Amino acid sequence: MKPRVAESPAPGRNNDSVEVKTTNQWYQTAFWSAVVSAVFSLIVVGFLMVNYLQIKVFDPVRAERLELLKLKIIDHPDDVLFVQIRKLDLQIRQDRIRRQNFSYRASFLLLGGLAVFVISAKLAVTFKKKPPRPQPYPDRQKEQIRQAIQARSTITVGLAVLGAAVLFFATRPVVDFSEEPPQKGVWPRFRGLGGLGISASTNVPDNWNGSTNEGILWKSKVPLPGHNSPIVWGDRVFLSGADANERQVYCFDALSGKLLWRGNVPNLAPAGAEPVEPGESTGFAAPTMVTDGRRVYAIFATGDVGCFDFSGKTVWARNLGSPDSAYGYASSLAMYRDLLLVQYDQGAAEDEKSKLIALNAFLGHTVWETRRPIPNSWTSPIVIEVSSRHQIITCGDPWVIAYDPNGAELWRADCLGADVAPSPIYAGGLVFAIEPYTKLVAIKPDGRGDVTKTHIVWSNEEGAPDICSPVSNGELIFLLTTDGLLICLQVTDGTKLWEEDLKEDFFASPSLIGDRLYLLSQKGVMFIIEAATEYKELARCELREDCHASPAFVDGRIYIRGTKNLYCIGNLD
Amino acid sequence: MIRFGYIIISIAFFLIVCGITSSVPAAPMSRQLQAQAGVERFPPPDFVESGYELPSPTTPHPRQNIYEYVDAVVLLAALGLASYLVLKKRSRRAILTLSVFSLFYFGFWRKGCVCSIGAIQNIVLSIFDRDYAVPFVVVVFFLLPLVFTLFFGRTFCAAVCPLGAVQDLVLLRPVAVPSWLESGLRLFAYAYLGAAVLFAATGSAFIICRYDPFISFFRLSGSLNILVLGGCFLLVGVFIGRPYCRFFCPYGVILRQLSRLSKWRVSITPDDCIKCRLCEDSCPFGAIKVPTAEWPARDYDKSKKRLALLLLLLPILILACAWAVSTASDLMSRTHPTVRLADRIHLEETGKEEETTDASAAFWATGKDVRELYAEASNIQAAVKTGCWLLGGFLGLVIALKLIGHSVRRTRIDYEADRAGCLACGRCFEYCPREHVRLNKDKQAVGDGE
Repeated sequence: MKPRVAESPAPGRNNDSVEVKTTNQWYQTAFWSAVVSAVFSLIVVGFLMVNYLQIKVFDPVRAERLELLKLKIIDHPDDVLFVQIRKLDLQIRQDRIRRQNFSYRASFLLLGGLAVFVISAKLAVTFKKKPPRPQPYPDRQKEQIRQAIQARSTITVGLAVLGAAVLFFATRPVVDFSEEPPQKGVWPRFRGLGGLGISASTNVPDNWNGSTNEGILWKSKVPLPGHNSPIVWGDRVFLSGADANERQVYCFDALSGKLLWRGNVPNLAPAGAEPVEPGESTGFAAPTMVTDGRRVYAIFATGDVGCFDFSGKTVWARNLGSPDSAYGYASSLAMYRDLLLVQYDQGAAEDEKSKLIALNAFLGHTVWETRRPIPNSWTSPIVIEVSSRHQIITCGDPWVIAYDPNGAELWRADCLGADVAPSPIYAGGLVFAIEPYTKLVAIKPDGRGDVTKTHIVWSNEEGAPDICSPVSNGELIFLLTTDGLLICLQVTDGTKLWEEDLKEDFFASPSLIGDRLYLLSQKGVMFIIEAATEYKELARCELREDCHASPAFVDGRIYIRGTKNLYCIGNLD
Repeated sequence: MIRFGYIIISIAFFLIVCGITSSVPAAPMSRQLQAQAGVERFPPPDFVESGYELPSPTTPHPRQNIYEYVDAVVLLAALGLASYLVLKKRSRRAILTLSVFSLFYFGFWRKGCVCSIGAIQNIVLSIFDRDYAVPFVVVVFFLLPLVFTLFFGRTFCAAVCPLGAVQDLVLLRPVAVPSWLESGLRLFAYAYLGAAVLFAATGSAFIICRYDPFISFFRLSGSLNILVLGGCFLLVGVFIGRPYCRFFCPYGVILRQLSRLSKWRVSITPDDCIKCRLCEDSCPFGAIKVPTAEWPARDYDKSKKRLALLLLLLPILILACAWAVSTASDLMSRTHPTVRLADRIHLEETGKEEETTDASAAFWATGKDVRELYAEASNIQAAVKTGCWLLGGFLGLVIALKLIGHSVRRTRIDYEADRAGCLACGRCFEYCPREHVRLNKDKQAVGDGE
């Protein structure tokens, strides 16, 4: 745009001065327009920044307060709190929308301000534009040589910068995904990895004394009773406890034994549901918890299931319906990837109440459930891998049934009876299941359909446990009856190699650590026996507290749950 | 004057670097931000007692296909008009008017998308990923400016590209960037192009779009980092003509090479150059080449030897740069969401991180095998490594060719527009006295006609 020049009849110099004057006026107008629009734009930017800070700084603080109130109301429902939450929630939303609207409108104002500034500033520059006045020629020859040298130097510097960046990047830590991640100390479910009762630790202590506290690193009181076994993930030990009124999950510090947090699982049974009255032998918290390393899951005899993260925050909770179990519900939880597996056997077989339920571990909803032609049982499912495919193995009366992780039945064998409590194991390519007091059955798990006649490899009917699950090193399998009879059989054909009466009662299942069996009696005496073809007792350590739960073995430490306390046994170094 | 210019340039590039670094959060920070993203998301209210049910979200109708064709037609028309205005009409004012239109249409109206610069990535991805179908309009936006450049020079940059237009408009006090510095800074554009192709080919990210500094202005919203980055570019652009176009634009790299081959291109004078030197400082983009003096014989001999040495060093430089960039492949592979997720899962699995992020929680919720994720991430890492070797080789080649270019002694007798660097803005036209003669002749012809 060119300024209009006032026409004047006067020729020559007067005309020029009028033109200069007019141009100057236009320049002044453009200049001050630019200044005003720049100041206006800066003010708008200031308001936008304040608005942004309010969104980023003040809103999160209030949102956090709202979250805390929401957490508080889970434990302490209160009408005043409800009103407070609603008010705060509404306030946050209204403010958020108001700020968004403000931001949107202000950005238009800013755009307008900047447009005026750019136009005015450009006009001002145009009015002050000076005609080109080329200076005397520099020494072109020298100049072009200098420029060529400088250009090469700049590019060489660029190369050096690339080299420096290489040095910087080369020192950054690299993650090699093809490497197996180092397995940290875990005992994530009942009887550890795979539910086999086997620990990779070898430096497990074999000498402690509960009366002198020798070898006992710490001992912590467990608030509520429970027969479930401790599970361990890294530096955290988890347990659950419950009575008729409360259901709790506990997280202990593995190093100090300090109770880090306790989480309450609410009673979510539908109104009017009959209260559950489990037997004394099981109680309200017999099932062992399970963890995937990020969250922990617990189920109780009331059918209430709770999920907590590692900081103790409730992720979800639900009720599966009161289980109809003669002695009280006691099956421990298992996991397959994101599925939380619940063997929910109850009532009589003809009641058709039993089912295997797979819950979404992160959200708690049912992914699938499969009806089971089985009455109430007390065994826990295990997940095994056969020919690169996973199977969920379950036991009940009379069937051992394997399921695909999608819930479809793969095979079943009719070989059990009575009140089945010992859980199955998988060793030497065979699934072992126990009919209490009667027999141990070995089944090949590669069949389909009813494999009773085709895949039962052998069956030993020379006595069997009624509660404790077996343990095996792949060559030998060890059975421990409640009244203390330890039996060793050969895996390949079930031939009995030896048996020994330990003259104690046992509820905890045996564990295998290296070539040693660890057997925890009801009176808290740990029998350490050589896992060999001949019986040999290596040590016997007393805890001086009754024990029903199976111990956990992690990183050279043993975590034992007594009826009242949780113990950590290990060496200080 | 020169010192003042250097100070301005230093401040300007410091600001750009600050802007870029502020928009590229470090890896641990990005995880933190990722975790925060879940927290910041505004949760729906709890209507426990009132029983109110939240309405299910509705999806807005996608833009009708016809508009894609409209965009393509507008682009074709704008390119044709720009070429006419630059080469035939030779009117700076008309070019400026068209660029303002392009800024409003392709920038503010079409929200800066599709743009020819970002289209590079779609085209690359469609080549490397058979499952990716590149939209027709993207192909048009990628190819049309290239074709026009091949025939008419960089008329796309002159008046059609909204990114160029917005920078052109804010240029108020141009400061000349020394040619040696300009040559060095232009390496960024080559590196950016190479990285953009690498990330697009491996499906990692569309970094040109992610770090488009002006998209926030076009959409009147965006992250603070990108707003700051764009603001820095515009602030720098007040003094340095089109900093993004000259030193960062990856599409500009391709256009530069095609423009060298263009059949018709901008000439400062419509007639013979009279070497009046009036146009010498008229180009704010340093795209006017001045006549050279005679090279001294001694320098000529030296440059011959240097040229021979550089030609010998060419393969070594390519290999060295390829190796150098390949060492950064692990870091670069983390741009890929799968590798980032695997990295996070690995941290959680090894107990180095206990909290889950939204992404890792979603992964755990799928129940997928971690080993499968790791295998996928390893494959991507291998692909990125190969890509890094190629990228490094490309950069080595560019550096070597630039060094060779500065060792070759060329002779120029006229003032002429740089074939590659000229953005065809038309600023130089009015400085040429021959242009004024032409315009007067035109006026006269019109007067005579009347």
